Amino acid sequence: MTDTPTYAELATTTNFSFLRGASQPGDLVTQALILGHQGIGIADRNSVAGTARAYRALKELRTSEDEAVRAQAEAFQLVVGARLVFADGTPDILAYPETKEGWGRLCRLLTLGKRRAEKGDCILTRQDLIKHARGLLLILMPDDDVVALEDALTMLTKTVSDTLWLGTSMGRKGKDRRHLLTLKDCAERHGVPLLATNDVLYHGPEQRPLQDVVTCIREGVTLEMAGTLLEANAERHLKAPEEMARLFKDAPEALAEIETILTRIDFTLDQLAYTYPDEPIPPGRTAQSWLEELVWKHAPYRYYDTGVPEKVKQLLRDELKLIDELDYAPYFLTIHDIVRVANDKGILCQGRGSAANSAVCYVLGITAVDPAEHDLLFARFISSERKEPPDIDVDFEHERREEIIQHIYERYGRDRAGIAATVISYRPRSALREVGKVMGLTEDVTARMAGTVWGSFGTEVYNKHIRQAGLDPDNPVIKRVLDLAHQIMGFPRHLSQHVGGFVLTRGRLDELVPVGNAAMDNRTFIEWDKDDIDALGLMKVDVLGLGMLSCIRKGLDLLRNHEGIDYALADVPQEDQEVYGMLQKGDSIGVFQVESRAQMNMLPRLRPKAFYDLVIQVAIVRPGPIQGDMVHPYLRRRNGEEGVDFPSPAPPHDPNELRSVLGRTLGVPLFQEQAMKIAMVAAEFSDEEANGLRRAMATFRHVGTIHMFEQKMVERMVARGYEREFAERCFNQIKGFGEYGFPESHAASFAKLVYISSWIKHYHPAIFACSLLNAQPMGFYAPAQIVRDAREHGVTVLPADINHSRWDNTLERAEEGALALRLGFRQIDGIHEDWAKDLTDERDLGYDSVEDLWRRAHLPHRALKLLADSDAFRSVGLDRRDALWAVRRLPDDEPLPLFEAAQRHELSPEPAANLPSMHLAEHVVADYQTTRLSLKEHPMTLLRPGFDAEQVLTCQQVNEARDGLWVRTAGVVLIRQRPGKGNAIFITLEDETSVVNIVLWASKLESFRPVVMASKLMLACGHVQRSKEGVIHLMATSLADRTDRLANLSNLHTAPASLARADEVIRPILSRGDSVKGGLVKEPRTISTRPSALRTSEARHPRNVRIIPKSRDFH
Amino acid sequence: MGRQAATSKQITHRLSRAPAKGPTVFIEKQRSAMRLVALSREAVAQNLEHGLTLADARARVPNLVAMERDMVADADWLERLADFCDRYTPLVALDEEDGLIMDITGCAHLFGGEAALREDLAQRLTHAGMTLVSALAGTPDAARAIARFGGGAIVPAGNEPDAAAPLSVDALDMGHETARALSRAGLATLGDLASRPRTPLAARFGQALPTKLARLLGEDDISITPRRPLPPCTVERRFGEPIGREEDVMATLAHLMGEAGSMLEARGEGGRAFELSLFRTDGAVRRLRVETSLALRQAGPIVRLFQDRIDTLADPLDPGFGYDLIRLAVLVSAPFEQPQVSLDGHQAALADIAALIDRLTTRLGREAVLRFVASDTHIPERAVYMVPAKDYEDARKAQGDDGENKSWPAPLPGDPPSRPIHLFEHPQPIEAVAEIPDGPPLKFRWRRVLHEVARAEGPERIAPEWWQQDTPLPTRDYYRVEDADGRRFWLFREGLYQRETNQPSWFVHGVFA
Repeated sequence: MTDTPTYAELATTTNFSFLRGASQPGDLVTQALILGHQGIGIADRNSVAGTARAYRALKELRTSEDEAVRAQAEAFQLVVGARLVFADGTPDILAYPETKEGWGRLCRLLTLGKRRAEKGDCILTRQDLIKHARGLLLILMPDDDVVALEDALTMLTKTVSDTLWLGTSMGRKGKDRRHLLTLKDCAERHGVPLLATNDVLYHGPEQRPLQDVVTCIREGVTLEMAGTLLEANAERHLKAPEEMARLFKDAPEALAEIETILTRIDFTLDQLAYTYPDEPIPPGRTAQSWLEELVWKHAPYRYYDTGVPEKVKQLLRDELKLIDELDYAPYFLTIHDIVRVANDKGILCQGRGSAANSAVCYVLGITAVDPAEHDLLFARFISSERKEPPDIDVDFEHERREEIIQHIYERYGRDRAGIAATVISYRPRSALREVGKVMGLTEDVTARMAGTVWGSFGTEVYNKHIRQAGLDPDNPVIKRVLDLAHQIMGFPRHLSQHVGGFVLTRGRLDELVPVGNAAMDNRTFIEWDKDDIDALGLMKVDVLGLGMLSCIRKGLDLLRNHEGIDYALADVPQEDQEVYGMLQKGDSIGVFQVESRAQMNMLPRLRPKAFYDLVIQVAIVRPGPIQGDMVHPYLRRRNGEEGVDFPSPAPPHDPNELRSVLGRTLGVPLFQEQAMKIAMVAAEFSDEEANGLRRAMATFRHVGTIHMFEQKMVERMVARGYEREFAERCFNQIKGFGEYGFPESHAASFAKLVYISSWIKHYHPAIFACSLLNAQPMGFYAPAQIVRDAREHGVTVLPADINHSRWDNTLERAEEGALALRLGFRQIDGIHEDWAKDLTDERDLGYDSVEDLWRRAHLPHRALKLLADSDAFRSVGLDRRDALWAVRRLPDDEPLPLFEAAQRHELSPEPAANLPSMHLAEHVVADYQTTRLSLKEHPMTLLRPGFDAEQVLTCQQVNEARDGLWVRTAGVVLIRQRPGKGNAIFITLEDETSVVNIVLWASKLESFRPVVMASKLMLACGHVQRSKEGVIHLMATSLADRTDRLANLSNLHTAPASLARADEVIRPILSRGDSVKGGLVKEPRTISTRPSALRTSEARHPRNVRIIPKSRDFH
Repeated sequence: MGRQAATSKQITHRLSRAPAKGPTVFIEKQRSAMRLVALSREAVAQNLEHGLTLADARARVPNLVAMERDMVADADWLERLADFCDRYTPLVALDEEDGLIMDITGCAHLFGGEAALREDLAQRLTHAGMTLVSALAGTPDAARAIARFGGGAIVPAGNEPDAAAPLSVDALDMGHETARALSRAGLATLGDLASRPRTPLAARFGQALPTKLARLLGEDDISITPRRPLPPCTVERRFGEPIGREEDVMATLAHLMGEAGSMLEARGEGGRAFELSLFRTDGAVRRLRVETSLALRQAGPIVRLFQDRIDTLADPLDPGFGYDLIRLAVLVSAPFEQPQVSLDGHQAALADIAALIDRLTTRLGREAVLRFVASDTHIPERAVYMVPAKDYEDARKAQGDDGENKSWPAPLPGDPPSRPIHLFEHPQPIEAVAEIPDGPPLKFRWRRVLHEVARAEGPERIAPEWWQQDTPLPTRDYYRVEDADGRRFWLFREGLYQRETNQPSWFVHGVFA
């Protein structure tokens, strides 16, 4: 121990030991570097999840611009392993693999423990370790239990001799030196060297409060009650080598052992080089040659009518060459293999992602976007410098995706296929709630604080909002809670399975990374998330579910069965101007992607005429272009109101350098790749920098590193002569993409589905509505709106009936030859599919009475009640009241055996009940309660006479009114939204004629807040505003709650609970963006909405009046 | 047929305690969300309703004042109300969380008739800040339904069917499902049901419905279950000529206790809580209570406890014109245990201590007799706190504890004690010389005496509980030291050298034996 001692902390717990460690792996690595440590050992509780993060952090530091940092990081040794925690009383053991084989065994050991436990847990015994100990360096971490320590040492020294150390730390616990002597003695007796550690839980002493907080969260106690569950002091942080040397001056040999261990370890995560699975390649062939053969074999079939165009041939040759160079062939083959299986099973699928819009993918049937028609260059999406696997996500019908997932498990085996993890982290809300609880705040206060956070992606909690919630941000407790909550944000809470990201390997997956059980049956997932997988260069295939594909498949099936038209995705007639005509009118309810209010408003402005317009349409109503303020420039240029020019740098730079980047979008960057390309071309970002930017973009929400790039990009662009304003807009756009990026290739794949769903809707509205209803839940609209839209398009809709309906909605040929939609039993809340099956199986020639149905179909009482209550007995001449009265009389489901026979007899006559007859209004209310829609009347029709007397206009009349007219209108509230900046509130009202869109400025909100938030039926007064594209809004000056009118509809004393119906909750991501009055605003957030159970007499019951759930925006 | 009165109240009493400005609600966690369970008038005026989630309610009314519901306090308040209603009739039953049912058969005339009784009740409760809804009817079900669903009334005898007819079928209280099914059938009110044949109703909704209907319509009666059973043992003495002197009262008490004692003995029980009620001729009632740790039945100790109680009353007994009734009730009885003598006398010692605590507590008050209890914290001076000894004894008995204090951790076998036998309430400053940064003291001066440190162990580093203070306190490094004369001390250095301060100060916090 001469001049500068060396040290490396080998007992480090990160926050991936959930609720134990209080520092991110990256912070620990950085701190160790700052302290001048030689290396660090990351070992989390029965997990290696944090190791990849540490690896990524070190990798980043190794690319630092600072020479000294880079050199130090190069020399820094990251050793990775796990802290094995046993279920049999053995003290914890840190296990560090010496070699790649050791890593494999560690992963298998952890997999073993995880597979035998519930999700998130790991059950290991000492015996398990002994079986897998080869190649692992083990550090026993004793606790106070001397007996257990002796026991463990005796046992372990029998099997592992020169790979065992006894870890010790000087925790300032009063008897450190005495303890050290005990251990020293113990170590000598067993011939095991002593190893110095500090058993680190966080990177610096300032993290102690956070560590206390996570301990309390883990133990479910408040700080006040935690007592000795907490550490007594703040010593378990990384300490300087000098300090460690001082602490261990009685045992310098324990420090020297660190060096020994570091030298012995020859494993780094870089060694996990990836090997593609070789299943899809026939024996004796190379991947490349097989891919080429497949491509040239399939190409003529794809272009069977025209022959393969020369342009496509050239494209294929170029792409294959690039694929060969980058060695991507196995990847394409794997995707092709999965898609082929889907085709065999008749499951509709489509690829998207950077590599998906290649001619190769089109020819192999992975996508339906024809490169011959659409000028989408594969080379544009793949950079040869980026040594990363290409990216293809494949969407499958959501209802049948599980079949594909199980196929992959079957084909590659569970030991070679696993789903990637998603790290569930603390978000502002959960952080505030949990920290508040630990600090002893009541639920009310934490709820109020959590309520101040708008949305859950922000990373800042503003004092202003806290004050608005009636709390004092300067109050020390509140301040502390905010501060700690802020620190804990981004901490991982647990691992969950990714929605569909698969990792496939040639060798055993469980030797690459531990595999554990997911909460779902038959699912297993690995410990790393997709960013980790990227960083380690593993191959991932995204198998995602897409509701619209289910819908389209159902539509195509119906088309085949009812109209005799047999189409696949690629066969639907292209570029049909009638279809575009429909979209130009904004008539897009149910159409993929462009059905939201914002998209509907954009359609008449953008007026899509060709496929590429749809690509733009899909991508433009997105946070990126909106935040970057790119939408209006694009629209103006498209409409010829503004010349197309390209921002130029000052000489001597090429003034046309952005022309190639922005040419297709009229000089306005709209897609994610364009923004990236601008960074590279206009700000001269190196590949490394661009990669960093891309990563920052992907992780923006979690880490917030993107700001480091802001100055760099903007200043460089300005320095090269660009206008600052343009540069800033470009960067804002990148930030927007960080939230919900939309690359051109994705947009193109989605646009294809937009077109196909529009085509079906336009030419076959009954089929469209039927398949959309049968694919529920999906999309933006509730069944009521879909049915209404179908009826407005001339489709006859027939009610569900015991003698006509099936589980699914079906089509019936009406007399005049048109297809009519028959509602299925699935539209009735609470009906099970197997009841419907029993009913249809026994139906034969039909049922003639309630009793007949009961006797033959053996339905449970509840099913009969639901059928009666939804008015499905009309064909036997009973309305819902009579049917219910009859059903209720039927005996209970499971009679005693003795009575069973007796019950088969006719029910005896009974005195007439003389029930009052049921009014239409009552029926309508009941219809909404049972099926969430009524074919009999719109509730507003029944209320119309009253509203007429008040001179309330119908929605139709409002939509036809001249600009500026002051009107009153009323309707059922469909949607409430408050977009990101919160300047305005959007409310959609519906009556029997149409819908009208209300805009209420935020300044008015306070006066009308209860009305906005609580109304189910709303009266709005204001001026009509008509844009030049014909988009109509009612600019509200006052609102009134008329929900009581609904209540009066029936003689029931409560209102139909939620006529308010909305949508975005189901698919929030797809519904971002809304526009008003020339001022586009970003990211609307849903206020209202969520289908709710409708039970009138229970309407007082909270479950049934939850029409405005999660209205956090307004808090 | 008896006459029944049902009351239901709105929980408003706690509002007065809170600095409530604006609409106020009480909330409770139900089905994983905070929901409104009680609302102030202002809140009702804002269209908020029972069962709404707090988040939704706040979205509508941002300045909403929300307080967590205290079920215990509510129940306690209802019990106190029921106690209060004892004045009208001994037969009082609790009805859900916010209602009382009283059987006032034969009681009303004492208050000048039913209307007067109801008026008296209303006045008193209104005065106490309550909102009262009440009904009088021939059966408890009818009265309850009319109070809860009909806004309250006095139903003349035999008029129950007419009074109940307009009530919604919800009044049947047979669950949402049934109420909804009846509404669907177009049967919205009890009248709709009453006018129809009952067999079809029974066939569809079970026999419970006609039965319940009959009770609501006053056709069928049941008696209420009073809220608490009569005390296990009550003895009383009435006086033709009121008595007023304390000696007379105590003599009467001794006599009554003798009677009660033999009743308890017959049952093999003893009493653990006794209540003496002194009824003055003018109607005022004074009640005194004593409790004991062990079940007792001898008159002597009980009379002595009451005597102590009377002697220490803040407001002495005022017999006014004298007492015409003295009642002694044994409120809580328990099996009388013959004390078992154990060899080490431990049980006897515990019993002695318990008796002592009883006497001291009765005489000095609960808050005046305290004992130490361990507290789970790293901070030495906070590792102990004091609680009323009686509370502790009661809790200990309830848990079947054997009386040992287990909370202080014992040192590991072979380890010396980590805490001194005598811990100073306030650490005393000393001057000490020690190695930097965190070496043990080499010598120190305490009360002018210089101690040379012969041996030391430490530091035991204890960081402050950071959440307790606004500004962080310094960390302490504790050392166990022994001076040259063999005296052992517990010293600490306050402040980490350079990290927290450059001039750490030293204290002695205790001495070892």
